Amino acid sequence: MGTGPPASRIAQKAKKKPPFPFFAPVYSLLAGWTGLAFWLLLLLLLALYPYTGVSSVALFVGSQIFVLVTLASNWNLIGGMTGYVDFGHAVFFGIGAYIMGILVTGTPLLISPEWGFWQALPASGFAAALFALLVGLPTLRLKGPYFSIAMLGTLVAMREIARVLRPITGGGVGLNLPPLLNRLGDYYLMLAVMGLVVSLIWWIQRSEFGQSLIAIREDEIGAEMRGINTTLHKITAFMIAAFFTGIVGGFWAWQNTYIDPDVVFVEARTVEMVMMSMLGGLGTVWGPPLGAVVIYFLQDLLWGNLSGVHLLPLGLLLVVIVLFMPEGILGTLGDRSSTSLGRLLSRVGRSR
Amino acid sequence: MDQLLQALVSGLLLGGFYSVMVLGFSVIWGVMGVINLAHGEFLMIGAYMAWGLFRFFGMDPFASLVLILPLMFLIGYLLQIVLINRVVERPHLMTLLVTFGLSIAIANLFKIQFTSDPRNVAVAYNGSVQLAGVTFPIVKTIIFGVALFIMVCLHLFLQRTRLGKSIRAAAQNKTAARIVGVDINRVYAITAGICIALTAAAGAMLSPTQAIFPFMGPPFTLKAVTITALGGLGRIPGALMGGMVLGVTEIFVSTYVPGIGTNLGVATSFILLVLILVVRPQGLMGGLRPIDAEAE
Repeated sequence: MGTGPPASRIAQKAKKKPPFPFFAPVYSLLAGWTGLAFWLLLLLLLALYPYTGVSSVALFVGSQIFVLVTLASNWNLIGGMTGYVDFGHAVFFGIGAYIMGILVTGTPLLISPEWGFWQALPASGFAAALFALLVGLPTLRLKGPYFSIAMLGTLVAMREIARVLRPITGGGVGLNLPPLLNRLGDYYLMLAVMGLVVSLIWWIQRSEFGQSLIAIREDEIGAEMRGINTTLHKITAFMIAAFFTGIVGGFWAWQNTYIDPDVVFVEARTVEMVMMSMLGGLGTVWGPPLGAVVIYFLQDLLWGNLSGVHLLPLGLLLVVIVLFMPEGILGTLGDRSSTSLGRLLSRVGRSR
Repeated sequence: MDQLLQALVSGLLLGGFYSVMVLGFSVIWGVMGVINLAHGEFLMIGAYMAWGLFRFFGMDPFASLVLILPLMFLIGYLLQIVLINRVVERPHLMTLLVTFGLSIAIANLFKIQFTSDPRNVAVAYNGSVQLAGVTFPIVKTIIFGVALFIMVCLHLFLQRTRLGKSIRAAAQNKTAARIVGVDINRVYAITAGICIALTAAAGAMLSPTQAIFPFMGPPFTLKAVTITALGGLGRIPGALMGGMVLGVTEIFVSTYVPGIGTNLGVATSFILLVLILVVRPQGLMGGLRPIDAEAE
């Protein structure tokens, strides 16, 4: 306690240089307006993609990737930019999915007439945001690991609650949603949500709001001293992240047509979000989308045929990333000082 | 009155199990500052070991502790040397992520190996005795006795033996312990071995009372955090007290709040945990390390 880092480690830190200085210009190109321009161009290309006459399987794969990118970017807003590592973010996914399921089927609460998809989708987002407000007010006061554990607790507790509240949620039996296949519609919907979320994150990082979030991550007490209303900022970021996660959850429930507590309230979904963000580069705008795409294709290539087994390599991969590549792809390739993880880790960490 | 007494006894018996279950988690946290999110998974491994020994060799779960303890000590020792010692000097978040990944990997390994069907260990003495109008389930009473025995042993080990003293020294001040010649890495590995063996032992003892399945772990991890927040880090009396409080609370909630059953135990402990951490961030007994002070 209070001994400070050994001299050798300080020297090591000073000597640390990007291993691939060659990529640094690429990285800086992604940082500002040019990054957004590339992003909009990519969105345009993706919007034109269905016109090339692709199969419905390709559209399904597309919407799955968009879901992952959206989830990773959302998690990054609270976990990477604000520095509150949320181990229970899947709870908002689950809330969204359940609100969608309850409103669309109508049976559990005898809602009649049943809501349509388009009315229920915003409702799942708002429900998740409201839940984030309720949960965030106590938990966002906790620091570092305690916040992570409290959110993990929220997830586990909500799974049990969903199982017990049988009249509303159908308990362990789950809910069956009306199966309506519309691959093209799914594709465009998720493309729009993904485009909106990632652009929003890009804008947030440049705005005063985002800079305040980063200030909170770096030094919360200092940020408060500077006059930043930390509680308001944290809650807002948390609610934004929860809102879009809820939307994705509602969409997922609609697409999957079946939900039960073990499918939507799972730690594995949180692990996915954490991993995709970490692999790409925590706290960066373009890292989490990149990580999501990489993880999707890794899963597809390596263990796509072994359904249900893929979580084992996923967990091990998380361990490997943390051990050997804690700053992610963008952090490893680009300028290390501009990614967050090193600083984030040293802030949450212990003195030595 | 009878119902109250019965709830109290059931709660205390459950609390005995909780306090032995939490020991491994609490000591690892207290000694090395690692929050082991794979705690529940090691408990699950112990339960599966007891199930396997019972199923294929007809071994009693309590007798199988003789095999499970040394084997899990070895596993914990190796795990610490291979993996955790690499990140133990790094910040909290890193160990948190590593153990989180580990917990997912272990749970899914067991799912692949044993499927997610629930397993049962049906011991012959699975009844209960009546004593002064109160029902004592036999298995849970044995667990309570073994738990107290284990706690006394661990207490004596930490207080009296040379190794125990070096573990406490490493917990109190690592740098000073190193200066006076304590081999920190070895002490950490032995601590992890002991803790993981104890956790697996708790799982083995649990096996006659509950269905065993690969994803049973996370609720126990959460309960372990709650008990640690209640009772303080690495303190055996604290673990006993915290376990009892949680056990009695859970049983009272399921007895007196109608229509929930025992399923909301996790929700109960979650609410308890958040309340404690928000109202008293240093834990109820003041044992938790304040994160703020560590930051710089």
